[in-house]
Amino acid sequence: MGGQAFLEISLIISLLVIFLPLLSFVLILIGKKRGGASMAIFSISISFLLSLVLLALYWNETPILYQVNWFIIGEIEFKAGILLNNLSLLMLSLVSGISVLVHVYSRSYMKNDHNIHRYWAYLGLFCFSMFGLSISDNLLLIYLFWELVGFSSFLLIGFWFTKQAASQAAKKAFIMNRIGDIGFLLGIMIIFSQFHTLDISILFGENGLINASIIKDNLWIFGTQQIPEIWLTIAGIGFFVGAIAKSAQFPLHTWLPDAMEGPTSVSALIHAATMVAAGVFLIARVYPIFEPQVLDIMVFIGAFSAFMAASIALTQNDIKRILAYSTISQLGFMVMAMGIGAYSESIFHLTTHAFFKCLLFLAVGSVIYQLHHYRDKFGLAFDYQDIRMMGGLRKSMPITVLTMCIASAALIGFPFTSAYLSKDAIILSAFEWAENRNKLAQFLPYVMVLTSWLTVFYIGRLVFKVFFSESKILTVNQLAEIKDPPKKMSYVLVILAFFCLFFAFSSHPLSYENSWIWNAFPIMLIQRNEIFHWLIPLILTSGTIILLIIAYWIYVKRATFLISEKNVFHRFSNQEWYVNHLYNNLFVSGVEKISKIFFWFDQNIMDAIVMKIAVFFKFISRVSVLVDRYFIDGTVNAIGSLAKFIACYAKNIQTGKLQHYLSIMLFLLLSFLILFYFI
Amino acid sequence: MIPLSHFLIIAACLFSIGLYAVLTKKNAIQVLIGIEFMINAAILNFVAFGRYDKINGGGQMFALFAIVLAAAGLAVALAIILNVYKHFKTIDPSKIDNLRN
Repeated sequence: MGGQAFLEISLIISLLVIFLPLLSFVLILIGKKRGGASMAIFSISISFLLSLVLLALYWNETPILYQVNWFIIGEIEFKAGILLNNLSLLMLSLVSGISVLVHVYSRSYMKNDHNIHRYWAYLGLFCFSMFGLSISDNLLLIYLFWELVGFSSFLLIGFWFTKQAASQAAKKAFIMNRIGDIGFLLGIMIIFSQFHTLDISILFGENGLINASIIKDNLWIFGTQQIPEIWLTIAGIGFFVGAIAKSAQFPLHTWLPDAMEGPTSVSALIHAATMVAAGVFLIARVYPIFEPQVLDIMVFIGAFSAFMAASIALTQNDIKRILAYSTISQLGFMVMAMGIGAYSESIFHLTTHAFFKCLLFLAVGSVIYQLHHYRDKFGLAFDYQDIRMMGGLRKSMPITVLTMCIASAALIGFPFTSAYLSKDAIILSAFEWAENRNKLAQFLPYVMVLTSWLTVFYIGRLVFKVFFSESKILTVNQLAEIKDPPKKMSYVLVILAFFCLFFAFSSHPLSYENSWIWNAFPIMLIQRNEIFHWLIPLILTSGTIILLIIAYWIYVKRATFLISEKNVFHRFSNQEWYVNHLYNNLFVSGVEKISKIFFWFDQNIMDAIVMKIAVFFKFISRVSVLVDRYFIDGTVNAIGSLAKFIACYAKNIQTGKLQHYLSIMLFLLLSFLILFYFI
Repeated sequence: MIPLSHFLIIAACLFSIGLYAVLTKKNAIQVLIGIEFMINAAILNFVAFGRYDKINGGGQMFALFAIVLAAAGLAVALAIILNVYKHFKTIDPSKIDNLRN
């Protein structure tokens, strides 16, 4: 790849990719309300095609860096620019690809909404900020786009802001993300104070400043600069906190299930496929900064979130909430993989997860869309998101069922699907990592296997209950009327289903080591254990099949194996491990109490003070009125009266009589002469 | 020889009488006479000081000019008084006080 001209063309292409969605955002908000959908789809499609061009040009090539001066503080220059390496190219194409599909899907899904132009505008803003996040070369720029992503997510969660739950969920997501943002900002500040630059390629490149700095005697030394080592750890934890807020990991995960109040297409795009992956993306971007202790924390948090979310998903009844917890669980896998050093496995899983989770959401969206539609048509009343109410949709919606099954197979890592490659790669790496570690660490891979089996069970429960079991509300005749969603939505599902299968990612159906994505990133240097490579997939798959059969028996054949709803574990899982309760008791109620106190303080003391001040000023103004009226005006009037008084006498001089004037002239002349000559 | 101071005293007396007439008389003609008194007092002074300029006779020359000018001024003043009388039907200067209003 040579030539300055060529570089500049690719720069223009990348800028177009970023700014087209922003342009559609601005244009739609300025006034093109009618053509919002076409405008948004057109701009995102162009972005997608251009990002594919970039992917084709620069995949596995030397990274492209293009910078311009941004601003100067003191002697430190800030540069803004774009960095095109494998990670950003993959993220760019992934986000734009999924965005195109979701845009097309939304056109039908959101058709009858009144404020639809806002929806398209917000999607444009989201895509702009996500693209910007992907290819910025500078931590400060990434932070800006990170905030913008959070903001557009806030807007889209609260899209139906007239619903109380939606506006609450939007606020919750925003506030929890702020907690993470503080961590991110802290990390940036520490990096800046140590290295005086925020340039990613300078900091985290192969010969980057992070690698050039050394740790000696509990000091973190870079050149002549030295600060205690603890700051390196804090910076790592800070970045990680940013990531766990965005990627909805324990303990900042509770916003994601609530975020399902937004439109389902938004959930698919933002809260399943792209934005939540930004946390993992951030970890990947700043990977060299993480110390071993921080990585251990990462492993723990990731594994714990994965397990916890999977166990919660077992007993949820809201169809979207199940998927939300599934997302948390899968993101937990990715974070855990980052922690054990399985960098490329994690990115690989990020990619495959984006497709199958997006498909799961969109398929579920189709079900919700059709049920909502037919519920109104039949005049029934039931919650169209509650899986207890569904059932028997298998024959009515064949395309939806088929794609849903493919996506679920991918989620549980069934052979020949994409996630079989990526998820097994993560679990394999976990086994290999744990081999030479202490007892606690050896426990980890088994937790992941268990989580993986839990995944099988909860998604089996969902699919069997919704599609294969007998109908609970709708009659046979009514079921026969329900059809697959409109063609445009079905096409999107089919395209996504294609990407859930192995051949989009690897030439070999069962070996992730042939995958083009896996090979494009640095590979973990851990001793390869051949036994694992055939034993673990075998165990996982056979467990999967057994569990699927059990789930089928329980939910379709209605075997009497049911756990009582009063069972401790059931309650624990159904109440989402009581995390929300805990937060409510720990933080929310405290904050509410404090705010009540402040309210009281405001009402009774601040207001009273203000009132008192007002009374005081009223008094002062009365006094000043008096002063004004009697003193200032009085003075002026007195001067006036004096002048009048003087004039009364002075006017008598002007008698109009010639001889008087003459005598006055004479008098004055004489006085002048006398004064001038004799005194 | 009559000393200079006698002329000057007489001139001063004449001037004062003229001034008095100008300031007090209720008739414009009398005021005019007062003015003539004052002019003639001045002319008298010219003639008296003329003794110091016997060769050129500057004092006498000025006196002659002044007498001619006074006569001309008097003619103009009398014309004005005639017009004033036509307009106001009086020549009492204390009654002609339109300026006051």
